[in-house]
Amino acid sequence: MITTTALTKRYGDVPAVRDVSLHCEPGTITGFLGANGAGKSTTLKMMVGLVRPDAGRATIDGRPFGELPNPIRVVGTLLDASAMHPGRSGRATLEIAARIAGVPTTRVDHLLDQVGLTDAADKRVGTYSLGMRQRLGIAQALVGEPVALILDEPANGLDPDGIAWMRTLLRSFADHGGTVLLSSHLLHEVQATADHLVVIADGAVVAAGRLDDLLATSTILVRSPEPAALAVALRAAGIEHHAGPDGALTVDVAGGRVTPEVLAGIARDHQVLLTELRASDANELEQLFFSLTSTKAAAEEAAA
Amino acid sequence: MTTSFAPLIHERAASAPGPIPFSRLVRVEWAKATDTRASRWLLALVALSSAALVLAPILAPTSFDQTQATYLGIVAVGLTILLPVVAILLFAGEWSQRSAFTTFTQEPRRLRVLNAKLAVSLLLGCGAAVYGGVVTAVALGLTSASGRSLEADVGVGIAAGYLVFVLLNVLAGVALGVLLQSSATAIAASFALPASLGVVGTASTLVRNWIDMSVWNWVLENDWGGHLPQIAVSILFWVAVPLAAGYARALRRDVA
Repeated sequence: MITTTALTKRYGDVPAVRDVSLHCEPGTITGFLGANGAGKSTTLKMMVGLVRPDAGRATIDGRPFGELPNPIRVVGTLLDASAMHPGRSGRATLEIAARIAGVPTTRVDHLLDQVGLTDAADKRVGTYSLGMRQRLGIAQALVGEPVALILDEPANGLDPDGIAWMRTLLRSFADHGGTVLLSSHLLHEVQATADHLVVIADGAVVAAGRLDDLLATSTILVRSPEPAALAVALRAAGIEHHAGPDGALTVDVAGGRVTPEVLAGIARDHQVLLTELRASDANELEQLFFSLTSTKAAAEEAAA
Repeated sequence: MTTSFAPLIHERAASAPGPIPFSRLVRVEWAKATDTRASRWLLALVALSSAALVLAPILAPTSFDQTQATYLGIVAVGLTILLPVVAILLFAGEWSQRSAFTTFTQEPRRLRVLNAKLAVSLLLGCGAAVYGGVVTAVALGLTSASGRSLEADVGVGIAAGYLVFVLLNVLAGVALGVLLQSSATAIAASFALPASLGVVGTASTLVRNWIDMSVWNWVLENDWGGHLPQIAVSILFWVAVPLAAGYARALRRDVA
């Protein structure tokens, strides 16, 4: 439904986006995860023709966005909730979108209710909080009854209730066959919302796939009071390992060849005492995210 | 709160939407030009300024030629003080208010959006010209009620010149708005440029006779004879060149 092929954009000599290829299937929510400045927004803007790519292409429903006859009937976009005319009411903003889409303006009242803005509908957008603008932006994205949604940081400014509401809404949209691509710089947000993940760092895709697969354990954590002896034993068995948290070692499963049983056997053979032996747990994605993105992003994630 | 998308997504497959008709874009841009508080105030001020200015020849008859054309000309000047600003906001506002994000994702064929805005600007100009005609008629009614007799010199030629003059001023606003893509800069330029060129024009007959906006007074006065080349050059300077450059810029510019 949403496909990009080797999208590339440079600003002067600075590469903003490099060879970004991704694919979003109907019925899925893809999280587009990266630190601020990693190139998420530029990539999304190239998908919808707001930014001209230097190379590569993006299609939605098989066509470049600019060739969709009435794009908001196909894909709803929310790229910047603060980029709405402040002098227009929320209702008028949605009515414009409804008229462009060619859907009955009665749909506007339904949407205002759906995003919880009925009471504020006739106030000017300039008086809205960021959270209210996000809600209005989501309503605007839904006006044309699209089959896909592209949302840039939709959780920004929403309170916890609002975030939970949005997750439910996006899940429902995807469960009914819709395609969702949403960006975030917050790992937990993506983890709670998406089922597919594309991680971008310094303008390039560094990991992509099903969230379950990316979360699936690819390492085993093994701890011993004699880590040096354990390391020697593992090296003798030709098993790769790295220093893990708090003096433990993490061992690559090497495509399933290495299991906790195998490690227990090696420890027994070398007379090394083990105090912990288990699959590394879910924070692996976090470690992946931390290791792939900048330390700045890691700090932000920790602070959030 | 309902979150049912089932009817939406499945119904849609059956009815692929057609392209957005140009008339729909024009109606939407018309709404955008007139539905904000700022635009309503501005249009009210346009109406007010021309009505206020025409009081001058009524109240100070000795300072003005008492002809119908004089009254119409004063109304035209009143209209064209702020009418270009309406056009500027219609174009530059998309960038200054950052609503281009929405506008160009609703219709990515930017040329159609720009043309719709151009059409709306011209329609607003025509509407303002008609309003100005009514204001003039009322003013003339007042003078004749007060027993003054005015020279009846407004024919088709004067009326046409008046309309073209109003539309040229609107187009100059369009050109500045689409070229500069910043409301504040374009509004400032729309007042500063004609004023400063006017000053330059006092020293340079070349500027005064070929570029300065006062060249368009020949249009307003239906005095085309012998002035066509000057009028053409000033239109190139104020309208054609900046409009073409502005279109080229707006069509290519990244929205960030």
